[in-house]
Amino acid sequence: MKKNKTILIVDDVEINRVILAEIFKDSYQIVEAGSGAEAIGIINGHPDIVAVLLDLLMPGVSGLGVLEDMNRTGRIKHIPVFLITAAESEAVLMEGYHLGAVDVIRKPFMTQFLQCRVSNLIELYAHRNALEDIVEEQVEKLQAVNRSMVETLAAIIEFRDCESGEHVKRIGKLTRVMMTEVSNTYPEYYLPKEEIDIIVTSSVLHDIGKISIPDQILNKPGRLTAEEFDIMKQHTVKGCEILQSIPDIMDKSIYSYSYDICRHHHERWDGKGYPDGLRGDEISIWAQVVAVADVYDALTSERVYKAAYSREKAVDMIYHGECGAFNPKLLEVFRNALEQI
Amino acid sequence: MSLLEELKSLGVDVDGGVKRLAGKQALYERMMFKFLDMMKKSVVSPDFDSNDYGEVIEIAHALKGAAGNLSVTPVYEAYGKIVDLLRSQQPEEARKVLKDVLPVQGKILDCIERHANA
Repeated sequence: MKKNKTILIVDDVEINRVILAEIFKDSYQIVEAGSGAEAIGIINGHPDIVAVLLDLLMPGVSGLGVLEDMNRTGRIKHIPVFLITAAESEAVLMEGYHLGAVDVIRKPFMTQFLQCRVSNLIELYAHRNALEDIVEEQVEKLQAVNRSMVETLAAIIEFRDCESGEHVKRIGKLTRVMMTEVSNTYPEYYLPKEEIDIIVTSSVLHDIGKISIPDQILNKPGRLTAEEFDIMKQHTVKGCEILQSIPDIMDKSIYSYSYDICRHHHERWDGKGYPDGLRGDEISIWAQVVAVADVYDALTSERVYKAAYSREKAVDMIYHGECGAFNPKLLEVFRNALEQI
Repeated sequence: MSLLEELKSLGVDVDGGVKRLAGKQALYERMMFKFLDMMKKSVVSPDFDSNDYGEVIEIAHALKGAAGNLSVTPVYEAYGKIVDLLRSQQPEEARKVLKDVLPVQGKILDCIERHANA
């Protein structure tokens, strides 16, 4: 049972360390630290620590200092810390609890109670840590399944659209870089990386509605008539209808972002886009970003109705509003984003 | 008389201390020698400054913890009172408790020292 499970005993008084070591050495490996600084080094470098018995009053880095460091590194979530105390004030002990300590060990030590309390909590933490690992693994698997579902759907659309699978990949890439830039540059558009990841996954479904557009319109080599263009514009709304009919095959947050992007990636900043004529920040920032990415990619790619424009020409057309108006803040970061891809 | 018998006669709860060390008498004796070293290095003098005794509290607190763990009851109880009195800003009362315990503490430390050198 013993082998790798290690208890770290932190106390500047050797007598206290020896007594605690004696109490636990039959069941655990023991590592001792005579100061807070030494303890921090051991905690951060020793993967097998299953509990820390921590004196509060020590010269230099105190027990509270050790707890603060464990909070900084996140180790406090996985290792139970017991405060060793002779008679610290209630305020100090409460501070210890607030910093994540799980229990208080009073001097003089009561051997058997101490063994039971420490062992019980070590087992509890081991169980919790194992469950967290399982959940994390399952979440990763689910996310992978989600991504592959979404990518499969995107691939189906591209077959219809006579485009290679590269289009959605490029949109995803540009969306990631632009979302990251805009999030880092403008606090009002800040989003954590995890959300940006979901937006990127969702972005590939922006044209799913094209599956409902007749071939002769979707793949028409020449300019569309007004009627044909009206039908083409329907791909935004049709896309949402398709998503509504298959909500269970994807994660709720992917569904929600996909829906919004699908519907609003042809809206424009001045309200002249479609289907809802939203203007300014009525359009979500992710739909705005996918709109720019989609336009840029369409301009720089060869289509049945046009040749590919150069990168410079495409940027120029976007900045001069030839593809509709975009958020000026977004255009600010667009050039930087392009340099990164 | 053996060290442990003598310590018992001076009010040390030897049985409690040995029990805490899983019944290991030899280890307990070794710890008493360490306790002697600690007491020599961490001296609380009865003429401490009545207006500046933060360090005295820290030393007394550490002595209390070690004495408690080794069941050196008279020292443990006295330093516990000293810490409490100093924390409640009663330095003169703390000084009195310290002066009272010093003779008993001296006898205990002498006893350990004699056996350490024997």
